[in-house]
Amino acid sequence: MQARLARLGKGLALPVALIALWEVAGHTGSLPRYLVAPSVIANTTLSMALSGELLSDTLDSLLRAYAGFLIGACLGIALGLLAGVSRAVEGFFDPLISLTYPVPKIALLPILMSWLGLGDASKIAVIALGVFYPAFINAYYGAKAVNRLHVWSALNMGATRVQVFAKVILPSAAPQVLTGLRIGLALAFIVMFAAEMVGAKTGLGNLVMEAEASLRFDLMYAAIIAIGVLGFASDRLLLALRRRLLAGRMAGHADHA
Amino acid sequence: MAVRTAAGAIGRWYPVAVVLLAWEALSRSGLVSHRLVPGLADIAQVFAANMASGDIPFHAGISLGRALSGFGLAIAAGVVLGVLMARVRWVESVFEPVFSFGYPVPKIALYPVFIFVFGLGSLSKVALIFLECLYPITVNTYYGIQSVDRKHLWSARNMGASPAQVFWRVLLPSAGPSIFAGLRVALPISLIVVIITEMIGESRGLGYYISYATASFEYASAYAGMLAIAAIGFVLDRLLIFIRNRIIFWERISGAYA
Repeated sequence: MQARLARLGKGLALPVALIALWEVAGHTGSLPRYLVAPSVIANTTLSMALSGELLSDTLDSLLRAYAGFLIGACLGIALGLLAGVSRAVEGFFDPLISLTYPVPKIALLPILMSWLGLGDASKIAVIALGVFYPAFINAYYGAKAVNRLHVWSALNMGATRVQVFAKVILPSAAPQVLTGLRIGLALAFIVMFAAEMVGAKTGLGNLVMEAEASLRFDLMYAAIIAIGVLGFASDRLLLALRRRLLAGRMAGHADHA
Repeated sequence: MAVRTAAGAIGRWYPVAVVLLAWEALSRSGLVSHRLVPGLADIAQVFAANMASGDIPFHAGISLGRALSGFGLAIAAGVVLGVLMARVRWVESVFEPVFSFGYPVPKIALYPVFIFVFGLGSLSKVALIFLECLYPITVNTYYGIQSVDRKHLWSARNMGASPAQVFWRVLLPSAGPSIFAGLRVALPISLIVVIITEMIGESRGLGYYISYATASFEYASAYAGMLAIAAIGFVLDRLLIFIRNRIIFWERISGAYA
């Protein structure tokens, strides 16, 4: 217990020292205007969160990020698993994905806005596209890495193809699928924020840009903090979900974070 | 033999042809505006013209320079930091929380702050690329060095290897695959960030080129710009795998996205 506390104390040392230094500098007036003292930021964040001002933009952002994530993840996992078990599907998607995988999907945003309009659809589409790739690739590898012996045994014992898929392939691919989802989730937030900064009328990304343009730096930091908290909390949620789904199978597995 | 490999290549790459044909069909069908979905020949023509005029090479060069500077700096700092975190107790206790808590936070949100600190030019973009790339590289190096087989370390020391020799001959090679996995995650991120930041506030670079072309309804030019960034992303990724397989020759990876 004491050792853990000591570790925690050391871990907090650097951030706490930095924030303290920042706060002191803020009060002596030696900071440029765009670096608002942490206490001011905390104050603005708190009062905006309490008054509900932050809420509507947060909800807009969250809706876009989650909608895009869900669409991209579902399509990616479904097609990735199919490609992992079917030669024909694999043959079709493999060259397409390998060609387009290293392409930054955000470059499509302007053209997607021309196709789908300036509303939520274009943002959700570009987020879904970004999430699709890691979801597909990891599901594909997860399904490919299934132990052949298990499949053969199941078939030998009279399992149907559907049963093999649901009882053998899906559980054995699950850890890898969730790894893909975790990468996709982080990407979803990056793309969401970028899309909102470039062209949106609502959302946290837009709030950051507006606050910056009107020199309301405390507001800008409040929005930045909100995005950080959302990204972090969503990641923790996914990790909790993974622990539940893979309960008992992850013994001794060190978490990535 | 040659015929057979050619047939094999066609068999493998037919889906690309299917997608391109579908695009061309859509363009000609009249269902969508020809301006919004130009034919392949139009895009190719605009691409060739903008390559010849030096427009695309100019903007691509700027984007590439920014992405690679940020990526390169992140490699240097991330590998050193990751090694130190794995080998030095106090560095680990100071930095490990910063990285594990900061990992899922979208660092791109700090871009407006970076603009104020580093200005609107290349510096703010390179700094943000550096920050975004630093996380996967550091974390992968850290895990890679941590999971080095202890027996190898003990054997090396037992046979009289100096600390420097242990580092260069045991630690770094064992962590190599993991380090390169981190680089492979970071490389596309560097391109994403450079394109985003150029779309927001810049008058140079491919991100600007694409958003400017779209805003002026020159969709064929926008597709040409996307083609350029796609080619850059693809070539850089292949290059990284090539370098990786030269360095880590004992554990090659191959295949599509391996």
